[in-house]
Amino acid sequence: MIQFAQVSKRYPNGQDALRNVNFEIASGEMAFLTGHSGAGKSTLLKLICLMERATSGQVIINGKNLNKVKRRKIPAVRRDIGMIFQDHRLLFDRSVFDNVALPLMIAGYEHREIGRRVRAALDKVGLLSKEKSTPIMLSGGEQQRVGIARAVVNKPPLLLADEPTGNLDPELSAEIMKLFEQFNQVGVSLLIASHDLSLLAQMHYRTLVMKEGRLVQDQTDETLNFEDDNDSTRIISDDGYSGDHYD
Amino acid sequence: MTTTLPESYLMMVIAVIIMTNDHPIGASLNQGASLGARFKMLLRLHKLEGKRGFKEIFDNPVSNFMTVLVIAIALALPAGLQIMLDNGKNLSQSWDGASRISLYLTIGLSDSETNQLADKIRQNLAVEKIDVILPEQALADFSNHSGFADAIAELDKNPLPPTLVIQPSAKFSTPEESEKLLAEYKKLPNVEKAQLDLDWVRKLYALLQLAEKAASALGFALGLAVLLIVGNTIRLSVQNRREEIEVVKLVGATDAFIRRPFLYTGFWYGLFAGLLCWVILETSLIWLQDPIADLAGLYQSQFRVNGLNFTQSFQLIGISCGLGLLGSWLSVGRHIRNIEPR
Repeated sequence: MIQFAQVSKRYPNGQDALRNVNFEIASGEMAFLTGHSGAGKSTLLKLICLMERATSGQVIINGKNLNKVKRRKIPAVRRDIGMIFQDHRLLFDRSVFDNVALPLMIAGYEHREIGRRVRAALDKVGLLSKEKSTPIMLSGGEQQRVGIARAVVNKPPLLLADEPTGNLDPELSAEIMKLFEQFNQVGVSLLIASHDLSLLAQMHYRTLVMKEGRLVQDQTDETLNFEDDNDSTRIISDDGYSGDHYD
Repeated sequence: MTTTLPESYLMMVIAVIIMTNDHPIGASLNQGASLGARFKMLLRLHKLEGKRGFKEIFDNPVSNFMTVLVIAIALALPAGLQIMLDNGKNLSQSWDGASRISLYLTIGLSDSETNQLADKIRQNLAVEKIDVILPEQALADFSNHSGFADAIAELDKNPLPPTLVIQPSAKFSTPEESEKLLAEYKKLPNVEKAQLDLDWVRKLYALLQLAEKAASALGFALGLAVLLIVGNTIRLSVQNRREEIEVVKLVGATDAFIRRPFLYTGFWYGLFAGLLCWVILETSLIWLQDPIADLAGLYQSQFRVNGLNFTQSFQLIGISCGLGLLGSWLSVGRHIRNIEPR
């Protein structure tokens, strides 16, 4: 579903956000992406949804090489990716219903179909009764769930979440994670960026650890130890490629 | 000029409407809404966005009214000038084609001699019609119309010459041909004075043509100003909604989708400005109607100023809508491109 091959990203100011990142996430897989702030998590997500372009290397999403996607075709790529943000990014001048309906309106769904799908998505996140409210009337956790409903309403095969629980207390965070697990169970691939280690420890999913733009660990158990990463930390990639020489 | 200019504008309006849908909403890759459903949704979206843009104008009535007023005034100036020109042309056209030549004959020429001369001229191919005005008839007409009847009755001798009024045929009505005829007639015996009538109408006509060119130039300049006004207003509107545009882009909106509400805003500006412009023009004409009628009365004329007829009103509003739409289209594409989600 997601494939990074020797991907590097250097911003115009000379900062190397990603250095030779290699990994693959299979269709239907759920994985976490963690690391200190500034480690490159957000950049990695931005490359997937074409908010940024890789300086070198290949990003392949759903079999499509993003290097070859022209500007005009970006919207079509984004429609296949559900995105969830820490700050929710809702439209505050529209109702909850209209917010969730947005991706369907863009994709050109029929009016009745939109109503049906939006209500199904809102029901899924437990906000069916709030469809007529505006986001400002909702709590932070509820706003996040509206954001999730918007991300899944179009039934995209891939969900990306950038610090989805960043502003939420542990209980609400666990609820959100449960929702993600439910989506995963119906075959949706998920990549969730989070630095909430205690949450990750409970989840037992594959975890990609980043440091200074490199992918330093890729593990499937809960023994996260990115505290002791030093120069000897092995650089993991799917093809066993070592990026040590890369600088 | 008056027919081709609005028509070209109208073509432009149609072109712009087509432009607004240059990227029909593409279906998502994994799930496709059917073509029919998508078209229906497109119509619905247009209705929705149109309504929303309409409401938005009333959300901020004062500043939007100012914008509309500025556009209306910018349109009213060239349109008003055009109305004046059309009326001026009407006035001159009622005399046009009447490039008549008056021959004033020697005073005291007998009626038979006068008629002989008239017959001689009548044989010329160039003459369409010839009127003979004998001195007695001329004096009677003059005393009837001038209000000097009493003074004229006192005259012991008729001071007026016999006159021949010649209407050249169409072929000889052009300025050059009339001048040639005039020169010929001047050489005839007993012709004291030959005069090309209504020379001033030609001058007025030439002046009107010049003024029409000036009006076109003014219209062009002010049309450009309208584009800039709308463009700038839309630019501000795009900036105010920057965050919203980023979000909509993130969930996969095409530029066409994002552009649509702004195009509607531009269209509504144009429509309201066109209507307001029409009201301004008609009010001004009503206000001017009485003084103009008074003035015309002094010249024994029934002249009335014509306002915009139905077609012209429609054209005015069409041009205004077109300019609003084009102004926002020119502005919005550029500014939306610059907004990318961060």
